[in-house]
Amino acid sequence: MLRRRNTSGYRTVDNLVLTPRDVAFDWTSLPTHWVPGEPFVTHTINVLHLLLPAGERWFVDVFTQALPYIKDDKLREEVLGFIGQETIHARSHQGVLDHWKAKGIDTDPYVRQIDWMFFTALGDRDLISKRREEWLIERLAIIAAIEHITAMLGNWALNSPALDAAGADPTMLDLLRWHGAEEVEHRAVAFDLFTHLDGRYLRRIRGMTVTWPVMLWLWVRGVVFLMRTDPELTGRRKKARWRYYFRASRRHLLPPANEIVRGVLRYHRPRYHPLKEFSTGQAVAYLASSPAANAAAV
Amino acid sequence: MGAGTVAPPDLRGRQHPDRLFTLLGKLITVLEWLASGSYIRRPQAQPADRDLQLVVDEVRVEASDARSFRLVAANGTELPRWQPGSHLEVLLPSGRRRHYSLCGDPADRRCYRIAVRRLADGGGSQELHDSVEPGSILTVRGPRNAFPYAPPLVPTAGYLFLAGGIGITPILPMVKQAAVEGAPWQLVYTGRSQASMPFLDELSELDADRVQIRPYDEHGFPSGAQLLEQAPAGATVYCCGPAPMIASVREAFPASAATALQFERFTAPPVIDGEPFEIALQRSKRVLTVPADVSALEIIRQAVPGVPYSCQQGFCGTCRTRVLSGEVDHRDRVLTDQERADSMTICVSRSRGGRIAVDL
Repeated sequence: MLRRRNTSGYRTVDNLVLTPRDVAFDWTSLPTHWVPGEPFVTHTINVLHLLLPAGERWFVDVFTQALPYIKDDKLREEVLGFIGQETIHARSHQGVLDHWKAKGIDTDPYVRQIDWMFFTALGDRDLISKRREEWLIERLAIIAAIEHITAMLGNWALNSPALDAAGADPTMLDLLRWHGAEEVEHRAVAFDLFTHLDGRYLRRIRGMTVTWPVMLWLWVRGVVFLMRTDPELTGRRKKARWRYYFRASRRHLLPPANEIVRGVLRYHRPRYHPLKEFSTGQAVAYLASSPAANAAAV
Repeated sequence: MGAGTVAPPDLRGRQHPDRLFTLLGKLITVLEWLASGSYIRRPQAQPADRDLQLVVDEVRVEASDARSFRLVAANGTELPRWQPGSHLEVLLPSGRRRHYSLCGDPADRRCYRIAVRRLADGGGSQELHDSVEPGSILTVRGPRNAFPYAPPLVPTAGYLFLAGGIGITPILPMVKQAAVEGAPWQLVYTGRSQASMPFLDELSELDADRVQIRPYDEHGFPSGAQLLEQAPAGATVYCCGPAPMIASVREAFPASAATALQFERFTAPPVIDGEPFEIALQRSKRVLTVPADVSALEIIRQAVPGVPYSCQQGFCGTCRTRVLSGEVDHRDRVLTDQERADSMTICVSRSRGGRIAVDL
């Protein structure tokens, strides 16, 4: 379901104007295992809440620095829309972290490391002139690679009826699908920005080469950490295992590995462009019906 | 990453820096070193020219104060394709820029049609009405879509279209498409009076049972709940009209039978109860005057093109700017009290009176 052909029942929407949507989520009744009886599935998806608040603030930081270099008004508008959407995403996932903290689940040790990676290791590094510009573009290549993966995951979230069937918490599903739909909606912006400022194939691929192994590693580490921290799991149930993943993905509760691998490989095609896959029409149709987007202040 | 920046402690609470993160930091340092060589033969960013020069082919009176303009390419070639809900940005000879929804037939690739209501205070609409005639050349950009018509191709429930006055323009192609597709639909079209409502002739060609014309002078001003009464269970609502109409529909929507709501996303809503004020840009050493009906952002953007902003409605916080002096009338809904003590969102917030100095 990460592939294009499964999302073809929707309309073509070209030249969509990107604007952030105000949203409101209420987590007070969120159960710890919001996919009932599936702690592993819950925590695998929960890793998003650990990575995204810092990650998306970092995107905003880097994109804001790139604004003065953009020489195309349409692209600049899209980048500004992207920045607003990512800001709201970061804030919404932070809301889940704050809810956990209030319940006594401490994610600080993990989040501290993520913050360090994005804002120190991948931060501005006190560079000047040419080196500063190249480091900016290098980070844009990394963001373009991450955005390819998030669009893939967003498309999966929009096409994941198995989660509804498993009785997953509707507010959390709405967060995932609202976010996923906006990822699909703005999937070309980071790629187009990198292309505008550099665009060389090998540099784009270097971005993906460093991105996917680190993302996979952080994800595995995040699941292990969350299972161990989960106060409702005891003894052997605290241990994350690969076979849990394969079992869950066979039941369509998590994106299957072969489709993720194929999706990452598609990014290596010289003629790859994000708009060649997934459906803006489907994303827009979901966003019109998202309870969180319709509940926000008028 | 300056010297002495060590990785944070590991996940098990031991105090030494996490070994794998220390390694990751070193790998990222290598990446930065590799990147520093990439300036060699890096292509330069190319400016994009997206202007289209179109010829006005036909001007028609559509209502007492509304006209439509048909635009074609000078050499008769095909124009960029568009879908219902799209608009053009028109660059008027005076330098004004206005957005107008496309209201023609998306399948006709040789012409665009826009319709414009003449507003008493709208310099742009007056200019189009008074000085644009067949044969005039207009510079346009787009099409762009801020109001996509994107239900599933196999509809599960019907559509309710709500149009107020000139808001019929993006709705018209949607209604025609829904009618062709045979999905169940209803249109409620409001306006001051029949004479002021454009495209009634084109709507009369559609199924009369599905079209409700409700001029205020005959039916009064409908509430959001009244407009949504027609919505079948599970319907998608498409709404375009004056700001109070959209606000009342958004407010009444959660209690209605419909499940999806699509409205034109105005990025910058009108300024309400604004007073003119001065804003001093400390770093650029400039003082700008913000008129009563324009946001500070709009004025600052002209002086500082790279200034970040996004929602233009005071909820995303992208345009938060440090305030150096002055009393701010905070109109956002994102900043905390602590943040408000030393900063403002320039997209909506204004002065309480007197000059504001910001760090720009």
